[in-house]
Amino acid sequence: MPEHSTNGRNAGSEHHDSEVNPAHIVSVQDFSPETLRSVIAHLEVSTDFDHLVYREAELDAIWTITGYFLTNEPHSNDRDLVRRLHVGVHEAHDFVAASRPEAAAEVLRAFL
Amino acid sequence: MLSREENELLTQTDPGTPAGNFFRRFWLPALMPWELPGPDCPPVRVRLLGEDLVAFRDTGGKVGLVDEACPHRRASMFFGRNEECGLRCVYHGWKFDVEGNCTDMPNEPDEYRFQNRVRITAYPTREYGGIIWTYMGDPDQMPDLPKLEWARVPDSHRYVSKRRQENNYLQAIEGGIDSSHSNFLHASVDAFRLTDEYVERFKNSSNLRAKYHIMDKAPVFTVKKTDYGLIIAVRRNADDDQYYWRLTQFMLPSYTIIPYQKGLSINGHCWVPRDDKTCFVWSVSWNPDGPLSMEDRESIRMESFIHEKVDPVTFLAVRNKGNNYLIDREEQKANSMTGIHGFAAQDQAVQESMGPVADRSRERLGTSDTAIIAARRLLLSEIRASAEGTRPHAAQHSDVYWVRSASLLLKRDVEFDEGAQELLKAEV
Repeated sequence: MPEHSTNGRNAGSEHHDSEVNPAHIVSVQDFSPETLRSVIAHLEVSTDFDHLVYREAELDAIWTITGYFLTNEPHSNDRDLVRRLHVGVHEAHDFVAASRPEAAAEVLRAFL
Repeated sequence: MLSREENELLTQTDPGTPAGNFFRRFWLPALMPWELPGPDCPPVRVRLLGEDLVAFRDTGGKVGLVDEACPHRRASMFFGRNEECGLRCVYHGWKFDVEGNCTDMPNEPDEYRFQNRVRITAYPTREYGGIIWTYMGDPDQMPDLPKLEWARVPDSHRYVSKRRQENNYLQAIEGGIDSSHSNFLHASVDAFRLTDEYVERFKNSSNLRAKYHIMDKAPVFTVKKTDYGLIIAVRRNADDDQYYWRLTQFMLPSYTIIPYQKGLSINGHCWVPRDDKTCFVWSVSWNPDGPLSMEDRESIRMESFIHEKVDPVTFLAVRNKGNNYLIDREEQKANSMTGIHGFAAQDQAVQESMGPVADRSRERLGTSDTAIIAARRLLLSEIRASAEGTRPHAAQHSDVYWVRSASLLLKRDVEFDEGAQELLKAEV
């Protein structure tokens, strides 16, 4: 997955699984593997209504960023990959909306 | 984002729709009492949840809310004569009482009258908290009125206004719980730019909101599900080892309370679908401890905050889409972000600009939209459960509405719902 995190930090990406707090919102400033790993780790421990709301917000943000990448980078070599991620994130978003965070995590793992 | 199907499920409230049936499980604000000033006064039209209705106050002072169409030939009851404990259709004289019973059918010969078998759709009403309420659902499941603090204070402690907005109720609710917009839409240019003069003026202010918005421009959002709906908490860094918290409620089906600072008045809203493309915005200011202050009254008169002058028949605001909300571009350059006067008109301008029903399948959300996402998910879940026959917990438990918003400083190791526990209880 292409790196697009040069100007941002990702608070969630430094967490190990044992430290992941599902009540914290992952900082989404890119769609790098670190960001996806952090979102996946949070999906894996999300159980409550509020956790799923935060995960949906994170996936909304990744979907937004990938969508703008596809619009703004017509000649990028990563377009096919990002397009698949964009669709996958939408699918993961719908799994979260259906209270199925584990299915959403599974979808995202395919992009690591 | 929402799918098109989810968006339609949330925004369509006509009879027979899942969201319409959900709203019909709650008591809803319908009229200002002054719309029906006395016994046998002229009837008024009311449109609610896609239904055209007529309200009247009978000879005994009871309020009726009936179908606008006479069941005989569908003529409008708005033209009816309000007389002797009933509303009489002027076309053929059929007359109905506040409960919808046909009490006279003068155009039929005595031996052919069937008035005892005819009814007009009528919904029960109550006068409570400076509002005439109605319940449009199954009569066998009629709940108690919600125990809202603002409805329980004396009339002198409360001000209520009603206005009509030209968009679906949901985008209005979303504006009410979207706390990040107030730093922009309702800000002065100085506050937005954080000019030296502004920072100097507010850095030691007793206005905690202004003070801590200067110190931390990147708040952290938290939402929690409650028995009334949601509590939405926004946290900012404050002095030393403290956080500044602003706590607001979203109460089902469509109430909010603006974060309140102890010692000031409290403000809130209720949004009621008029139909899928318009809604009524009910705005309430109240002081649980005493009559509204001179400052509160002045703010209402000047339309600087949540109340706005409206046409007394249509309830359309004086500042409206047709006149671009009287936007003042010079004022926008020099002083305010919008150039539109008053928070109410500012909210209305942006919410109406999204179209009658916002297309949520095309939006681009970020993590500051968590409260909006939470409210949608909660409503979707409640609407689906209602469609399967589950009565909403909040509708059936009027005590859950006995809450209050808050804004306060807490030590950083204290959870907001523990530290603010007492402040979040209503008192009246």
